[in-house]
Amino acid sequence: MAHRLHITLSALAFLGAGASLAPAQSLALAAKPATTSSTAATSVRTADGRPDLEGYWTNTTVTPLERPKELADKAFFTPEEAAEWAKRQLATPEPTGPGTYADVHYNMAQFGLERSQSKVAANIRTSLITDPPDGHVPPMTPEARQRNADRAAKNKGHEFDGPENRGLAERCIMWGNEGPPMMPVGYNSNLQIVQGPGYVAITQEMIHDVRMIPTDGSPHLPADVRQWMGDSRGHWEGDTLVVDTTNFTDKTAFRGSSANLHVVERFRRVDADTVLYQFTVDDPSTWAHSWSAEIPMTKIKGPIFEYACHEGNYGMRNNLSGARADEKKQQGGK
Amino acid sequence: MKKFVGAGLIAAALPAWAHHSFASEFDVSKPVKLQGTVTQMEWINPHSWIHIDVKNADGTVTSWMIEGGSPNSLLRRGFTKHSLEPGTQIVVEGYQAKDGANRANGRDLTFPDGKKLFIGTDASEQTPSAKPDK
Repeated sequence: MAHRLHITLSALAFLGAGASLAPAQSLALAAKPATTSSTAATSVRTADGRPDLEGYWTNTTVTPLERPKELADKAFFTPEEAAEWAKRQLATPEPTGPGTYADVHYNMAQFGLERSQSKVAANIRTSLITDPPDGHVPPMTPEARQRNADRAAKNKGHEFDGPENRGLAERCIMWGNEGPPMMPVGYNSNLQIVQGPGYVAITQEMIHDVRMIPTDGSPHLPADVRQWMGDSRGHWEGDTLVVDTTNFTDKTAFRGSSANLHVVERFRRVDADTVLYQFTVDDPSTWAHSWSAEIPMTKIKGPIFEYACHEGNYGMRNNLSGARADEKKQQGGK
Repeated sequence: MKKFVGAGLIAAALPAWAHHSFASEFDVSKPVKLQGTVTQMEWINPHSWIHIDVKNADGTVTSWMIEGGSPNSLLRRGFTKHSLEPGTQIVVEGYQAKDGANRANGRDLTFPDGKKLFIGTDASEQTPSAKPDK
């Protein structure tokens, strides 16, 4: 308990330190969207003169993707409000009631999995979404609504027939956070960036895929070659790494997107402890217009650890076995 | 409970605490409280599993498997595979598997004196010990 409190206070101290030290710059940048021009902040460089994005980072956040209803007209907190918001978000949840479905899990605090046990970058935004200005994902097109309804209907009533009917995350194939765009996940929201001649590599701890991003000016793969994480190509615009990703499949979906998803990510080191990560997603098959978000990523001590999800994924077998037991029960057996 | 958007698709919003549905694996109507001796800790992803032997009133022994959290975060907090050695006495509160097997989720794990397992070790912010095993 003492440990958890310590970390919580550390996170809050960090969030509340807008008037001094490194977070001040992040807060200022959050208030004024970053541009692509180089700034004095990017003083750390690799041997070949590029801004140094290397190291271990976390994108853990207390900021929701979409702006909460009660903050509809408020795009930014004051630093004090941000600290109060973070305090509430990082508070230990109310205990669950014994004998309820909510109680059937393990104690997150006990296993070190609560967000309060991670570092959290300062952010005074009330939503990760920066455009449109209302902080919300644009409405889905009728085509996309139909496509997603069809997908859901296809599996309805068959959710536990076999492993193929389970979601990709439960099958340890991919998790939704991996993207691109890369999003925070419930825990272990850590990543490592490595730069080399002609490539930038990003490992996300969850669930351990590595993105190999050519920065050598080579073109995207032919349009008929599709990949689960798309095809990413990077280039530098001033001190900003810009990564363009196309060639997705229809096997993954970012908030209901299609294989036509186009993602542009921007990475900029805004101070010693912060990489500002911004992305714009566009998919005319899904949304009426593109939308953008940004997540400040803060430096952590490495290393990150391998999350070999298949290593002991007993949960798959156990869930299916539980479903068979439920079926027997419904049929009057034991 | 987690909802899937369809076969083969990524569930966009996983609950913060799990990568699969605990409620479809364990039976809410079968709470268990077990005191036993650790025989093995499986230090594996996506979930750690603790094996314990529980002595029954008639002197026989029943082996149980207890599902716990991701080992990555435990390692960051300074735990190693030697931190929970065989022979350690622990108390587990959780719910038994729906299929009736001797498996349970580790809802709450304590030592017999009430002290919580995995809590209270030194762990500064995201600082992995990465120390070699002793």
